[in-house]
Amino acid sequence: MTAERIDSKTKPRIMTYEASSEGDWITGLHPMDDLLRGERLPHIWCQGCGLGTALTSFISSLKWLEKRKGWDLDKVAVVSGIGCTGRIAGYVRLDSFHTIHGRAIPFATGLKIANPELKVIVISGDGDIAGIGGNHFIHAARRNLGITVVCVNNFNYGMTGGQVGPTTPHEARAVTAQYGNYEYPFNLPYLAAASGASYVARWTTLHARQLDWTLRKALTHPGFSFVEIIAPCSTAYSRWNPEGKGLDPENLRRRGLEVMKHYQRVGKTDHGLHPKDAHIKVNERGEIIEIIEGEFLLETRPDFEEAMNQRVEIAEKYWQREKAALDKRVSLSIKKKKVPRTEIQLGGFGGQGIMSAGKIIGMAAAVFNNLEACFTQSYGPEARGGAAGSQVIISSSPIHHPHLTEPTSMIIMSQGAYDKYVDTLAIDGVLLIDNELVILPEDHRTDIKTLGIPATKIAEEAGNNRAANTVMLGFWTAVEGIVDQKAMEESIAESVPPKTVDLNLDVFRTGYQEGLAQG
Amino acid sequence: MPLWRQPLDKDRILITHGIVHIIDDRCKGCGFCIEFCPQGTLGISDRTNTKGYHPPRVIEENLCVNCGLCTLLCPDFAIYIEDGGKQTPGLIHPVQRNEVKK
Repeated sequence: MTAERIDSKTKPRIMTYEASSEGDWITGLHPMDDLLRGERLPHIWCQGCGLGTALTSFISSLKWLEKRKGWDLDKVAVVSGIGCTGRIAGYVRLDSFHTIHGRAIPFATGLKIANPELKVIVISGDGDIAGIGGNHFIHAARRNLGITVVCVNNFNYGMTGGQVGPTTPHEARAVTAQYGNYEYPFNLPYLAAASGASYVARWTTLHARQLDWTLRKALTHPGFSFVEIIAPCSTAYSRWNPEGKGLDPENLRRRGLEVMKHYQRVGKTDHGLHPKDAHIKVNERGEIIEIIEGEFLLETRPDFEEAMNQRVEIAEKYWQREKAALDKRVSLSIKKKKVPRTEIQLGGFGGQGIMSAGKIIGMAAAVFNNLEACFTQSYGPEARGGAAGSQVIISSSPIHHPHLTEPTSMIIMSQGAYDKYVDTLAIDGVLLIDNELVILPEDHRTDIKTLGIPATKIAEEAGNNRAANTVMLGFWTAVEGIVDQKAMEESIAESVPPKTVDLNLDVFRTGYQEGLAQG
Repeated sequence: MPLWRQPLDKDRILITHGIVHIIDDRCKGCGFCIEFCPQGTLGISDRTNTKGYHPPRVIEENLCVNCGLCTLLCPDFAIYIEDGGKQTPGLIHPVQRNEVKK
């Protein structure tokens, strides 16, 4: 006895899995085998699972479309997410992709937009489409994107063992809701229709023929089509619920069949019903007592691709106009003097035009002076009144690091910005301040060059205090001399509102003169 | 069943006929085809396949009318119907009810 036990422990156990291994599947025996990847079959789905039926209906509709509508099946792509249903992409001999959990629709969106000729079909489970990928689902429906989404709904997370999902009916049992689910489920056709889908239908797997016809329609529909397939989960969901006859030993091996028979009893076809009323009614024991099925919605309106192309035509007209304006730009002579990497820090409070001043400098350098320029911004959440800063880097050679390392030049227009930035300025750097707004403290740095101009006052006297940044720019241009005056003027003329161009150029020149005098 | 009223023009009617093909070793014994065959063509067989399931068997060949529902319902691609042309029915059967079936 002991010897035997030791023997059985030490001897390696030979697992006889050969009978159900990949080589077991002889392909070519069934008319649908040409659309199946025989090397991956037999599939993993349980006995009595509805997914196989959903797959046969799908293949059947594809075959019909190929035969009768002349579809090229090379132009069909199947995308699926994670879950039992996600396996479908691996079993069909079509272009297919098995994406990460919940992201089947974003992948399909990209596929469809990049290659509009493709017929893209997303087949995934309720957990994938309505649960983790719910947001993608509603937004694809909202855009009326020209894809077909087939959601196989088995009321729970089947692959992980039967947990409560977003479609588990109220009062139904699941492995994580042994005393009844207290949440309310999604009505998927209603969700799809409310989100903007233009074709919405629901069938149980029992109605395989109707499902086949519906899928044909859904696949040829030009907009977003959504088909919900109610499928039995013979192992997980029906174990806990009355439809599968629970743990009744006589039906243990036939739970899927019991659920299908139940669908035969409770299924009610009602085409054209408002999706709101397309409910799945459940009694207090969690038993489904009515499933409304049929085609609920069929609308024809521009799909995403059509709408996008219309907009592209409009945008093309605007672009031509803008392009003509850009072609008229003055091209200044290339600056011969080599400019080393120069870092400029601008600071002030929001609304002073700190961002636009940075942009004007960058544009003058990059567009009109043929230098390299890099512009970054930093600001608080407030649009006006908060601290704002922008950084510009100018150089003759390419800029490899976009962030400031040690600014050599600084334009400061508020006390807060002064306190924040002044310590970062390089030794012998140039600090330009609005001396009306910034009061220098007694211990102000002496290792830097500090110049001041009453920019806001000058702009106010000229008629618009919002042009203060332009005064500072004129001042900076004269002091630093990195960018030409002409380039700055062109850049300002292009950046400020058309009505204020003259005023801005006036105050720019005032600032420039002041800079020449001081610098 | 023989007492079911037979139409007078029975000799002139042609109904479609299908030949059932069952791929035994693919079957997982879910019973969909047997339960939902509108004509009651299929029943459970006594033999087992390599997976240990009882695949369906054809009870009465002439009953199949080539509707193809079993092909669509079978989750395991284990059954299909071949077009068998048309034939004059021997007896017109009523639509099969679940209770009648053995």
